[in-house]
Amino acid sequence: MSDKKPLTVALHGMDERSRKIMMMFLQGPCRGTVIVIDDDDPDVDIFDGDMPASKKLLSEHLRAAREKPTIVLSLQDFNHEGVLQVRKPVKTDDMLAVLNEAKVQLADFARKKAEKQAVLATSEAEEDDESEPQPFKTYVLDRDERKKTSKHRTAMRFDEKGFQGYIGSLSDIDVNDPAQFANASYDPKDYFQGYIQSAFMVCHAKGQIMQLQSGWKPIMIFPHTHEVWLDADDPQLRAFAGIKLNQNSTSKMSISPVNAQTMGLGGSLDKFQSMDAFLWKLACWTSKGRYPRLIDYTQPVYLKCWPNFTRLLITPHALRIAALLMQGPRTLPNVAQVLDIKPQYVFVFASAACALGLMRQAKREADNLIQPPEVKATKGQGLLSRIMNKLRG
Amino acid sequence: MSQYKIIFTGPVGAGKTTAIHSISDVPPVKTDASASDMTKSRKAATTVAMDYGIMNLSDGEKIHLYGTPGQERFDFMWDILINGGIGLVLLLDNTRADPFKDMKFFLEAFGDFISKTSVAIGVTQMDLSSKPTIADYHTQLQASGLRPPVFAVDARVRSDVSLLVQSLLYSLDPGLSE
Repeated sequence: MSDKKPLTVALHGMDERSRKIMMMFLQGPCRGTVIVIDDDDPDVDIFDGDMPASKKLLSEHLRAAREKPTIVLSLQDFNHEGVLQVRKPVKTDDMLAVLNEAKVQLADFARKKAEKQAVLATSEAEEDDESEPQPFKTYVLDRDERKKTSKHRTAMRFDEKGFQGYIGSLSDIDVNDPAQFANASYDPKDYFQGYIQSAFMVCHAKGQIMQLQSGWKPIMIFPHTHEVWLDADDPQLRAFAGIKLNQNSTSKMSISPVNAQTMGLGGSLDKFQSMDAFLWKLACWTSKGRYPRLIDYTQPVYLKCWPNFTRLLITPHALRIAALLMQGPRTLPNVAQVLDIKPQYVFVFASAACALGLMRQAKREADNLIQPPEVKATKGQGLLSRIMNKLRG
Repeated sequence: MSQYKIIFTGPVGAGKTTAIHSISDVPPVKTDASASDMTKSRKAATTVAMDYGIMNLSDGEKIHLYGTPGQERFDFMWDILINGGIGLVLLLDNTRADPFKDMKFFLEAFGDFISKTSVAIGVTQMDLSSKPTIADYHTQLQASGLRPPVFAVDARVRSDVSLLVQSLLYSLDPGLSE
């Protein structure tokens, strides 16, 4: 085992609270040294030596032939051949020292096991299947994740005031005029949004990290972590999003696999964004209050699930629109009518939700046949409104 | 005057105390106990009874914010707490061994209450552990027949907690005006 590779440890005999605290301790003060896993084949077993239930587990564990280091955390001295001890309260230095000893023990166990296997390896090689390390089940420490600040930043929220200026406007059409609804759509393929969506699909299909060249700034796409990396701020992206691309621009688009390791992105982790947050805002800026062409505005649409609003640009009335559509399919103009808001707010929401695959046209016949349910005011609407006002501050 | 409550629940360490602190108008009343020796370096206390905060509304009305204790041995208190509750905020810790199991446990434990009101789910610690993703939570929820809001939440950030509670209120009534 490589010296740099973190040890995997399993925590035994701890209640949920102790386990949680121990995990925080190992990921905090002992950062990077170990990874806590849930499966039954860790590098090291750690037991709480004081809990009654744990004592029984430990006793059974010590009775069996051990092939990996064991660490016991206890208030009193704990003496057992080959077993490592950390006295409570656990101190960082003590734990790190014992983990180092565990590494040495682990190498020793591995050497002895290899020697034993070399003697027995004349036949029945298939019996080794059981000793294959199992994959991590859940928690894997990701030291870089916390540094990706843009990804975990709270959403920007807009009300009607100021939104138009932020998102931009269209001179050739009034998207709020019902007579012009038929022309109030746009095709994402005519804009940068369409190329980004295609690039995301290609990356996911190939399972490769790729770079999209557009004649503007390169964008790195990471399909496994669902992230993008772009060295540009929002105003720059917003300006580019609104430009209808011509033949000349599209000829500059290309996508190719890259090696992220050699790109040296580790020093600019703050430029990582989640794909969803990136595509959502790109669609808002491309839409400028229009709906995507794939939606028939005369037919109902449905929402698959609530968007993750704390990490997305929140357009005016977006939460209300989502809540209403989660109740059942409706046409876009109907949503605007029921909520008594300008259609442009519904259209821009639809553009963003469609880009993420959260909104679809309702295909069931029943959705067209049945009138959408009436939205009745709840009994405590006055109270809920006052709470809402308070929360919105 | 009526007693209106919003209930915060979830497993130990999910951020219930912090979330209530984020939106309460008064310093929350905490009924914490000293944590054990190992805990002290990371978390000085843990909630053993409940947290309590208040939101003062413009007309003098108060909304009581209650956090359930995370330990399951206090679940006898939950029935008392939910009486008069407007809705449930469920906070889940993404670094826990099996957050889906936690989600299932709490959704079942508060099933009756949720069916009469609504629930919004906040997933905390996603900056430490980005998996499972929010989409994974929605996939899991499909089996339960529930379609609640599920947001990534930093319980220390007021706007995150506020948005989660707003989504709960809009789930109850999308007709509420902004």
